[in-house]
Amino acid sequence: MEETSGLKRLDEDLKAVSDERDAQKGKYMTFKSGNEYYGLKIQYVNEIIGFQAITPVPETEEYIKGLINLRGKIIPVIDVRLRFGQEPFEYNDRTCIIVISVKTTVVGLIVEKIAEVVEIKEENILPPPTLGRTDKTQNKYIYGIGKAGGAVKLLLDPDKLLNDTDMSMIEQGNDVLNEEE
Amino acid sequence: MAEEFNTEGMLDMYLFENEQLLEQLQERVLEQKDSDCFDEESINEIFRTMHTIKGSSGIMMFDNITAISHKLEDVFFYLRESHPENVPHLELVEHVLTVEDFISGEMDKIRNGDSPDGEPAEIIAELDKFLEKIKGGGGKTGETGKPVPENVHEEPKHFYIAPVASSASRFYKIYITFFPDTEMANVHAYKAVYALKEIAEDLLYSPEDIISDPDSAQAIVKDGFRILLQSQSDEEEIRNLIGVGYDIESVDVFECKANEFLQGFDFGEPELKIDLESSVEDIEAKVKAAIDQSSQEDDAAEKPKEKPKMAPGDFVIKSKEPGKKKQLAKDKPKTEKASFISVNVSKMDQLMDLIGELVISESVVLQNPDLKVPGLNLTNFNKAAAQMSKISTDLQNVIMSMRMVPLTNIFQKMNRIVFDVSRKLGKDVDFEMVGEHTEVDKNIIEHISDPLMHLVRNAVDHGIETKEEREASGKTEKAKITLSARTEAGKVWISVADNGTGLNREKIMAKAKKQGLLTDGKPESAYSDKEVYQFITLPGFSTNEQVTEYSGRGVGMDVVVQNIQAIGGVLDIESEPGYGSTMSLKIPLTLAIIDGIVMETGDSSFVMETGVIKQFFSVKEDMMIHEPDGDEYVMIRGECYPVIRLGKWYGLDNYQTSIENGMMLILEVDSRTLCLFVDKLIGKQEIVVKPIPPYIKKIKGLSGCTQLGDGSIALILDPGGLVD
Repeated sequence: MEETSGLKRLDEDLKAVSDERDAQKGKYMTFKSGNEYYGLKIQYVNEIIGFQAITPVPETEEYIKGLINLRGKIIPVIDVRLRFGQEPFEYNDRTCIIVISVKTTVVGLIVEKIAEVVEIKEENILPPPTLGRTDKTQNKYIYGIGKAGGAVKLLLDPDKLLNDTDMSMIEQGNDVLNEEE
Repeated sequence: MAEEFNTEGMLDMYLFENEQLLEQLQERVLEQKDSDCFDEESINEIFRTMHTIKGSSGIMMFDNITAISHKLEDVFFYLRESHPENVPHLELVEHVLTVEDFISGEMDKIRNGDSPDGEPAEIIAELDKFLEKIKGGGGKTGETGKPVPENVHEEPKHFYIAPVASSASRFYKIYITFFPDTEMANVHAYKAVYALKEIAEDLLYSPEDIISDPDSAQAIVKDGFRILLQSQSDEEEIRNLIGVGYDIESVDVFECKANEFLQGFDFGEPELKIDLESSVEDIEAKVKAAIDQSSQEDDAAEKPKEKPKMAPGDFVIKSKEPGKKKQLAKDKPKTEKASFISVNVSKMDQLMDLIGELVISESVVLQNPDLKVPGLNLTNFNKAAAQMSKISTDLQNVIMSMRMVPLTNIFQKMNRIVFDVSRKLGKDVDFEMVGEHTEVDKNIIEHISDPLMHLVRNAVDHGIETKEEREASGKTEKAKITLSARTEAGKVWISVADNGTGLNREKIMAKAKKQGLLTDGKPESAYSDKEVYQFITLPGFSTNEQVTEYSGRGVGMDVVVQNIQAIGGVLDIESEPGYGSTMSLKIPLTLAIIDGIVMETGDSSFVMETGVIKQFFSVKEDMMIHEPDGDEYVMIRGECYPVIRLGKWYGLDNYQTSIENGMMLILEVDSRTLCLFVDKLIGKQEIVVKPIPPYIKKIKGLSGCTQLGDGSIALILDPGGLVD
């Protein structure tokens, strides 16, 4: 119950921000996956829905869990943890799906836990760490690291999240991050 | 465009209307490109079209379109007023098409939000030259010098110029007597009047009310039909025009003096003037119904059949022979004018979606688990449910038929392409259309336009030989391309056939060899013709040595095949060396709603189009044949079929492994038979096909997905993908 009211509040938050375009600026939807918190620009987020039955599609990448029926519209859902190459996790009734739309693609993201909407100012966003080792260490989905209220959020580039095939680097990115801290 | 007005709606309307006008224009022009000249109705029609486009473009302030349409309007104004002879018809056709292209091009720009900045000056100069030419080239005496009036901005009917008695005019009194038992003599009389209009400078007749007053028939039979005619023609021509029907007893033509003519009919009846111009349609419309009933052969229908020998490029119209009628618009079978409204496509799509949802929620209701409670009396419910199903099926049929569009437009476009390409390549090609009224879903039309265009272009460019080659190979018949469409077994077949060289097997084989496409160890003779011809659909494959403007770059056939496959279609190639080739597209009628069998394998639901399923079969283990490499076959009534286990094929979990507990489906795909093993069948259902979101890459054997009655999603199996 508590969770749903939280969601409702979040939903209202989302609505409120969509009222004013300027208000969206600098706002990030954050969620937890693995040990880290990730942030996604709020304008990509359509809505957040509870977990529902997923129809698996054969012969697809492991992280594409299948299709869901979103009020008559059929959209694919991907598991963010699997997308990052992390260990799979058990879905439960608290698992949420963030529906994002990037350009014309509408995709659901299964995340472990939705956190909150935070505002991160431009000056608090650092470029992702690059180590001189090789190109490989460059993190591909993370375009910046945002500091908000003492915590650090990894800011996701949704375009790359959906379309990039190489995903093994996230762990290393996390390591790098930890070192820097 | 002025920003302060909301021109959005106007602009849409402008584009839409003009697009339709241009389409009609093109259709009309191409229809008559092979005749000697435009018939009168076409000239009027083109004139009106240009006038309308000019007017609306003027309002929208697209000056270049206004200018060019004005110019073409001038040309047709001249044609219509002066009936010049010696009009180079093909040149005229080309001018019209150039103008049409220009305007379409500008409209495309407008549609894309650019400003129409095309420069019409060159085309206008060409048209001016052309106009000069036909003016100098032999209009009738006294009319050649008639300046193009400046009043073209007014309504078309103001163009009507009262007949002027030129010195060459002669006056006639004509009496037509009908046999006493003639029925509908008024109609026959009208036909005579209509025929005479061609040559008439002024025309009066009595009784005057022959069209709307059926009683006039009796009067005509009793008293005869009188016509006063002013014309330059001689008596013989008039007789020819009136013709001799079995019902006309006699035709008497007397020449008379002008003053007699002006007195009108002796008995001082009020004169009835026929407005030679604008009333034609009205009169015709009124009398049309009557004409239709009259089974008598239309005297105007004997079109001059002789076809002048023409080489491309030098089409010149022979001057009108005396007595030879111009083709009357009336000759053409008139299609019934239905009333149409145009609807925004997105609204149609929305309606389609909603009906899809309705179908789904209908099955949610009718198959609701609550109804499965034992002991319920559902008699009334079932009655109501059956009624509802019937309505929703009807509703679906209606929306489907609304989305069905005849192929006519697209075929017309191909006509244009054949015309353009053959002219440019100096080939003389006949174009025939068969079954252009075949209807297919609008979505499909959009997808086949490009592939079809490509096939037609190929046929003209590669298929048809040059004139010299044709002569050398002793072909006497004219080069011909036939575009045909037909429906068969829920699919549409569209074929492009030519009577040209056909595909050259050796050439294709040689090329395939060079490109390393042949399987090692397979002798060349082992390839069937079909297999060989399929090579040309591979990317980068073109046997044409010369790259022409139209084809030969090797890009194309592969794209054609891709586009066709994208809508679930197949390209079939047949060819007879020396006698031509036929490319056939087999495409589904509609993509939106199909009849499907729902089945389950593992935890997933699948749907298969009903048409391909021949049989369901429970198989015993001893009917199975296992090969060491894992392939399986099943023996059914002495026939051996390969088996695909759906669960294994897709690597699903928890699927039925025991062959005796599952269900075998016998599928027939592209004349091949195979068996598909699934866990169990759920039932037959109409399903609304939705595409698999493009984010998920294409999966072999799946063509889409759908929502089932309980809201869950089922994947649609594409039998074509399972074969192979």
